Amino acid sequence: MGCSSLRPEPQIVTVTNTVKTTVPIVARPKGAQINDVKIYVVNADNYDEFVEKFTNKNGELVYIAISVKDYENLSLNFAELKRYIEQQKQIIVYYEEAVKPQEETQN
Amino acid sequence: MFGAIKIAMVMTVIATAGMGYLYVQKLQSDLETARANVAKMEVAVQISEASIATLQQDAVRSAELNANLQRDLQTAERYGDELRATLQKHNLTALAQRKPGLIENRMQDATNSLWNDLRSITDPNGVQQSEAGTTNSNSN
Repeated sequence: MGCSSLRPEPQIVTVTNTVKTTVPIVARPKGAQINDVKIYVVNADNYDEFVEKFTNKNGELVYIAISVKDYENLSLNFAELKRYIEQQKQIIVYYEEAVKPQEETQN
Repeated sequence: MFGAIKIAMVMTVIATAGMGYLYVQKLQSDLETARANVAKMEVAVQISEASIATLQQDAVRSAELNANLQRDLQTAERYGDELRATLQKHNLTALAQRKPGLIENRMQDATNSLWNDLRSITDPNGVQQSEAGTTNSNSN
């Protein structure tokens, strides 16, 4: 009681303001245009056969050779690139799902 | 003399009663305001509880998305792991010496398969998860 009882009761005002950021999902880049590659496995025994086959197909005997070890390395390099692309894509999908509105995700 | 005292006493009683009445009126008004405040506070508490529930749902959803991501990231390692294992298991040089035709076909198939995988995983309208890692598409 006392002087404080003469002051009017203060009115409580509650304001609820929800702000949700909307991030537009951009279109994916166009797919990779991959060209086919012909592989020849050549050793001393089938070299003549290779020369004939290769010349018939390409018109001249000019080629880029690669050792078995380097072919393995090339395969592993491509496997690494494939893994990187897939994981990068999965991370993008993760972010797309995370920023999607919840109602849309549940549907 | 007594008449004046009586009048003063009556006036005092009337004034006291009037002040009491006003005080009660104010108390009633404060009580109404307090009730309204309590109602507002209850609504605020409900909103806060709803916000906490939403945050908890978001946390669960984030954990689920994160678990899915970790699983998918792990799956993407499979192709390389399988390829490494196959290359370690087989001596490709010796096989190329003995059966160049067979190895050539297998290399060609594996390479074509890899190109198809790359086309598939970069296809903007394609499926999210490539199945390439689940099949034996290595070069041996």
